[in-house]
Amino acid sequence: MPEQIHPAERLLNLVIALVNTSARMTKDQIRTSVAGYGDAPSDDAFERMFERDKDTLRELGIPILTVTGAGHGDDIGYRIDQEAYALPAIDLTPAELGVLSLASQFWQDQSVRTDTTRALTKLRAVGDAPEAADLVAGLAPRVRAAGDSFGPLLEAIQARRVVTFTYRAASTGEVRARSVEPWRLLARRGGWFLVGHDRERGEARSFRLSRIEGPVRATGPEGAFDAPDADVLEAAMRSWSGGSQQIAVLAVRPERAEALRARALSSADDMGPAEPGVAAAPADRDVVRVPFTSLGEMAEEVLGYGDAVVVLAPAALRQAVVRLLRVAAGLHPASSGGPSDG
Amino acid sequence: MAERASERLLRLLGMITYLDRHAGVPVEQVAAHFGVSPRQVIDDVDTLWMTGTPGYYPHDLIDFDAASYEEGVVRLTEARGMTRPLRLGTREAVALVAALRAMREALDPSLDAERSQVLSSALEKLTAATGEAAAGVDVRLAVDGAPQVVAAIGSALQSGRRMWLRYVNASDVASEREVDPIRLVTSDERSYLLAWCLRAGGERLFRVDRVVAARALDVPAEPHPVSGRATDFRPDASGGLVTLRLASRARWVAESVPVEAVRNDPDGSFEVDLRVANQAWLRHLVLSVAEDVLEVRPSEVAAAVADFARDALEAYGPLGEQAAPTS
Repeated sequence: MPEQIHPAERLLNLVIALVNTSARMTKDQIRTSVAGYGDAPSDDAFERMFERDKDTLRELGIPILTVTGAGHGDDIGYRIDQEAYALPAIDLTPAELGVLSLASQFWQDQSVRTDTTRALTKLRAVGDAPEAADLVAGLAPRVRAAGDSFGPLLEAIQARRVVTFTYRAASTGEVRARSVEPWRLLARRGGWFLVGHDRERGEARSFRLSRIEGPVRATGPEGAFDAPDADVLEAAMRSWSGGSQQIAVLAVRPERAEALRARALSSADDMGPAEPGVAAAPADRDVVRVPFTSLGEMAEEVLGYGDAVVVLAPAALRQAVVRLLRVAAGLHPASSGGPSDG
Repeated sequence: MAERASERLLRLLGMITYLDRHAGVPVEQVAAHFGVSPRQVIDDVDTLWMTGTPGYYPHDLIDFDAASYEEGVVRLTEARGMTRPLRLGTREAVALVAALRAMREALDPSLDAERSQVLSSALEKLTAATGEAAAGVDVRLAVDGAPQVVAAIGSALQSGRRMWLRYVNASDVASEREVDPIRLVTSDERSYLLAWCLRAGGERLFRVDRVVAARALDVPAEPHPVSGRATDFRPDASGGLVTLRLASRARWVAESVPVEAVRNDPDGSFEVDLRVANQAWLRHLVLSVAEDVLEVRPSEVAAAVADFARDALEAYGPLGEQAAPTS
């Protein structure tokens, strides 16, 4: 009995055969002449093996073309067109390969890691020398895992296909099927989001990927919708763009909140008593001006300092903080007011 | 063999292309280039040597110079036309380009001009080779440290030097310490410096936005053993069990805070169990979700948060009165 040929070796023999064939090879020719296929014990086993190998090669970016014979329609042959799968001319220095290697470790999802590992193997073929990691030593950029819906959504965005999925709304907890034209996947502080056109609501919506329950299914044809106009996309993305910068004017207890102070504008910048709220600053506190873009994040940060940091301005930030403090104060009655409920 | 056939096939094809472009490469260098062991390279070359076009007579086969191979040098003499590099698949290109874009945006402050240039040129070359495929994914990493702090960390990591840090912890207490930097973890949520703290005699994770001052010292950093999972922030779990019942809107807590257990109720509300030693951290969490807290157990935790909030409200005095609660 001949030694079993490793599947990778059989696949390589198939690729070499189909690249070098003068016109095409029929299935019969493949079975009888390409090393590895002779192992198939039956017609069915061969068919399964060949179909699986075709799928594997397509998955790797090496599509097998079907060529119909000139004479009879049912006489099908196969070949691989090297031009169709070749990478455009590219030369990578060791340092660039090092950066690409770092980029390939960026993703935490196993499925995406498989893709980036493959990409790196392909790129190493055109690299000059082993990658130089010293340029990126100690840097570990990464994005949180996006989960199982990432792959199908990305495919659907590229193909412009409609997707359906079950979604748990944050505001109500309601679980409902959604039908969405997917535009873009975003990773922001707080998670992964899909921005797209909600077909039922007839408007752009964002969906948090972690609230998608069960599988994402692409339905209908490719190219089912036009890519969104730049201004439509921009409007839909506006809430994700971070907003414009504002200045928080804070009254800070001496020697407290150093992390906030470190980001403060220097006191040499214009700051007069006319500035909103500054006149109201308690005398025993330092007035510190800290730039911020997200009001929610700034409010959350300030909250953590308790009575050490008081927001003087802007009013919207102060109100957000005070509102949360009131609610928090209501979580439990003041212990000094009566017997504790130990 | 654990490796999947498809991954091995890619490397076999990549090796032909690479060896066609580089005449005579030592086995060790091929191994380093493709990130595998020298033993694996020898296996791969032996496999390549037996593949070729149907017939599989000597002139049909991929061939290497046997004399060089005896000396541990791989010299390809016949490629059977397999010299074209493989183009990247769409998903492959998207994943790499999106990562590089996010890195260029976020890491730039921690890179010097030379490294910044390498990142840009890698991105340009990749984009040119793959087209504008990556528009579907947009990743933004947290850049939440002072520029001079981030630059000092980047430079110390690159030159392998010890650092001096001034750090403010979650309880707003500042301390100064010397550390040997190990890794700068930049994620979509926060940036952390993983370092060996000489004062604590152990590995510590520092939030970069709480490093208020940093500089590289003229002392080389010493190598330290690094635990594999140290790059994820985990609050010290030695504290008592705390349960929060939260309204549906606060679901992000279950998603982004290390919780021991989550129990969903049919109405969308849910409970999370936490085990946290750091009371300042726990208090901050409860404050952040105060509007969606339905219950806190044990009640001492709620009492401590409420007292903390009352003290803060008192500090606002009349300023706090102006803000009518909105519902």
